[in-house]
Amino acid sequence: MHDLLPYIHGSLSNLLGSIQFFMPEVWLSALFIIVLITDLLFGKNSQKLCKTVACVGILLICILDLGQRDFVKQSVEENIPLFLFNNSLLLTRAAVNFKFIIDLLAFVLLIYADWDHKLRAHKKGLSDLYTIIIASIFGLHLMTMAVNLLSIYLSIEMVSLASYLLVAYRSENAFSTEAGLKYVLFGAAASAIMLYGISLLYGFTGSLDLFDGNFLQGLTQANGMAVSFALVLVLLGIGFKLSFIPMHFWVPDVYEGASTPVTAYLSTLPKIAGFALLINFLTPFIFSVRWSAFDFKLFLSIVGIATMIAGNFAAVLQTNVKRMLAYSSIGHTGFVLMAIVTFNQQGITALTWYLLVYSIANIGALVLASYFANVTGAEDMEGYKGLGLRYTTASVCFVIILISLTGLPITAGFTGKVFVFSAVYGVYQQNHDLWLLLLMVTGALTTVVSLFYYLKIPLNLFIKRLEIVKEPVSKSYNLLILAAIISVLLILLGVFPDFIINHL
Amino acid sequence: MLTLLIFLPILFGFIIVVLPSSMRASFKYITLLATLLQLAISIYIYLNFKTGVAFGGIDHETQFQFLQKLPWIHLNLGSLGTMQIDYFVGIDGISVTLLLMTSIVMVVAALSSWEITSNLKGFFALFLLLDMALIGVFCSLDFFLFYIFYELMLLPLYFLIGMWGGARREYAAIKFFLYTLFGSVFMLLVMIGLYLSVKDPATGNHTFNMIQMMNPANYTPGSIFNILSHQTIFGISARTVGFVVLFVAFAIKVPVVPLHTWLPDAHVEAPTPVSIILAGILLKIGGYGIIRICIGIFPEVATSGAFWLGLLGVISILYGAFNALAQRDFKRIIAYSSVSQMGFVLLGIASQTTEGISGAVFQMVSHGFLSAMLFFLVGVVYNRVHDRDIYNFRGLGTLMPKYMVFIMIAFFASLGLPGFSTFIAEAFSLTGAFKSALLPNWLAICGAVGILFSACYFLWTLQRMFFGSVSLKGGDTWRAALVDLKPREIIALIPLALTALALGVMPSLVFDKINDSVLALVSFTKTFIR
Repeated sequence: MHDLLPYIHGSLSNLLGSIQFFMPEVWLSALFIIVLITDLLFGKNSQKLCKTVACVGILLICILDLGQRDFVKQSVEENIPLFLFNNSLLLTRAAVNFKFIIDLLAFVLLIYADWDHKLRAHKKGLSDLYTIIIASIFGLHLMTMAVNLLSIYLSIEMVSLASYLLVAYRSENAFSTEAGLKYVLFGAAASAIMLYGISLLYGFTGSLDLFDGNFLQGLTQANGMAVSFALVLVLLGIGFKLSFIPMHFWVPDVYEGASTPVTAYLSTLPKIAGFALLINFLTPFIFSVRWSAFDFKLFLSIVGIATMIAGNFAAVLQTNVKRMLAYSSIGHTGFVLMAIVTFNQQGITALTWYLLVYSIANIGALVLASYFANVTGAEDMEGYKGLGLRYTTASVCFVIILISLTGLPITAGFTGKVFVFSAVYGVYQQNHDLWLLLLMVTGALTTVVSLFYYLKIPLNLFIKRLEIVKEPVSKSYNLLILAAIISVLLILLGVFPDFIINHL
Repeated sequence: MLTLLIFLPILFGFIIVVLPSSMRASFKYITLLATLLQLAISIYIYLNFKTGVAFGGIDHETQFQFLQKLPWIHLNLGSLGTMQIDYFVGIDGISVTLLLMTSIVMVVAALSSWEITSNLKGFFALFLLLDMALIGVFCSLDFFLFYIFYELMLLPLYFLIGMWGGARREYAAIKFFLYTLFGSVFMLLVMIGLYLSVKDPATGNHTFNMIQMMNPANYTPGSIFNILSHQTIFGISARTVGFVVLFVAFAIKVPVVPLHTWLPDAHVEAPTPVSIILAGILLKIGGYGIIRICIGIFPEVATSGAFWLGLLGVISILYGAFNALAQRDFKRIIAYSSVSQMGFVLLGIASQTTEGISGAVFQMVSHGFLSAMLFFLVGVVYNRVHDRDIYNFRGLGTLMPKYMVFIMIAFFASLGLPGFSTFIAEAFSLTGAFKSALLPNWLAICGAVGILFSACYFLWTLQRMFFGSVSLKGGDTWRAALVDLKPREIIALIPLALTALALGVMPSLVFDKINDSVLALVSFTKTFIR
């Protein structure tokens, strides 16, 4: 204990000094407590109030995120990386962008949550849900910045716990409960695997800090086989959040079983943060010249190709809309892995952009799934038959959103595809790596496959005819307006991507 | 000017979307007005299009006319420089005639849309969106812009076939969509590869400018598609791969024979106006793309592979003709005759001679009018009795004399009777093929035999359906339904028939405009061989 005394002063001042770079997260935790207390004080009637507080709070935090850009700019100019809290977090440009995107999308999700009739019918009310989401966003923020094995593990667990609660939030039917339980079991197993990998890495190096000089040195000196094994275990843990092959088994059931806004949450936010974390985790290895024990490029390429193929082809067979979107989101993960394999700034920009437009479109698709479930009770493709002419606006929006997910012009999804492809091509041109070429060819092929299943929805909406069209169960204008805004946004971003992407 | 031409339809389309459904009767007039305005603009452009050596176009940016270039997407990509995408439109001789043809065919298609009765708002909005994309493709000089318009056609067509089509419309629509998308996603990869290989000499940025892509000096040393760096992909020369991928993408559109199977399905299931657009304009985009992009950017590959291109062309001619002979569905015959006739386009292009390429462009224009006419005529019968089986009709000539006149004109013009446009086109393509040093003579001879077969199937159809005594499967109800042409139909058909005749008598209407560009293209490809 006495040995530590001389360090305490340094550590404390480091802690205190870090707080100014940690303001969004500080306010997030404050917001969490405020929402929690609001819920407690106002009891059953607090739902509307909680929602307002949470939405306004998240918007304020978005502004704080933007404020952090200056810090990052400064640190880039002075060439001093912004390590926080004794090297457990690292604030980078990419991290700030990811945080901003996460908060913005979280805002949309918070607004959307209680417009889903099935979720709103929950008898406990949704106040808890808002609290949980806010808490998970705190975890997501940490994920984007974590560069220490311990902080990586903690942040992932934080998000996982919140996700378990969200998935099981509405558990009145067996299917939903099953999904929740499956998710918990899978999640627990994945985090155990990851923890095992982390402990192995710690054992090899005696350090938890990825950017510590000893860390890489220790790994290069250890047995290559054992190190690769440990790294694969950690990657699998991260892969659980990203849902790439072979860590994707939970996805279809959970996405289908969870209520739709929760699916929208799961398919976007943790994925974005997961990719941010993956970038953080890979950075020290990529920029080390001496590192050769484990070929990340090969590993990620193979996983990416397998994920694209499996996700997209499995989606073809689905009839439930949410299940199909689940498989397609696996396919998108594979596509984004392609951008990771480039390991350069352009790749990260392309990846950020792709994730942004994918998330917007995916949320839009699920909003419309909610809408149709609200209005007609339809959840399967079969149920969508002939609805196109009756609910024209919603159906047209659905087409635009799905086109964006497929990646056809003139939607934002197309620009996302173009940027990812050109980032990969740029690297390919320099090193002529066959794997990159294979990735691109797979990406192009699976685009055609994805068109086939995405088009099934417009096919049922417009082209299949049904003699008797059921009367609407209830109306749901909020969702319709949200979906319309999202579609217009997707087209605008498709035509003028440089408004945003130049700031990424 | 071109911008107005491109975006005029979508403006009207927007009006249609905004108007309430109670005004649905006016939608067809709005659409017709849009296409007529478009026609007026393109006639103006055609008349003011300057010819001469200084306006050859092809690989010289300054020689294009009605140019418009606006910076559109400029992205800072760090180490890779800036991504430069321009809104860049302009036309040369090859585009101008196709543009005019497109405008006329669109008017006819709008007139034939009178038959559509359900869900008018959707139909006309999609129709106008498609119109915009088609015009945009012919005008774009930036590859990115070209690609956007190229893809933008697919979605409206999918819905137009899928929602207003015949019995197997779902199958036909998705088949068409997947086929074309398959070609175009790989085109996207090549496009990005080209863009990363080419730098705009003026700004030093990577660019999607097609004209810059044609100049070998703009390729950065060591880049994938640089002609000197001899890069390989899977052991094959990268430029060959690039050419083949682009060629396949466009060949699906043309369609060239092994890739044609979407066409009969799409044509048969599509409603008449969409068939007209498909055959009249869409197929031309394939041919146009091969000339402008495949030959323009990879001329040396096109030269070394000329034999294979010519062979594919001849196979299309013969295979299409044989298939047309075997059909008993009136519309399918026309669909396969399109395959056969578009084969001449490919044959002409493969020859890479002035005659051949002129013939190819001329064939595209002429086939645009004639196939529109043929599909319109098929639509006339189908609308009246909802049947197209050849053996269910006999002696239509006595029943519908005016119809018979137009059928005769269309058939004889299509089978290459001298005095009509197809004759000129096929004659030029074949002359080019005979003259070309790249193609063996037997290819040209086989192509000439194809004309004979086309005469067979057209005349045989004429004999089966129109001659003889009246005998219909549907008996008296059909006889009552099969009234002769209405004024609206005659108004739509007369311009088509007249242009087919006019082009046959005065081919200079087209040749004058395209000649300089064709000469420029041929001399441009020659410089590469050296």
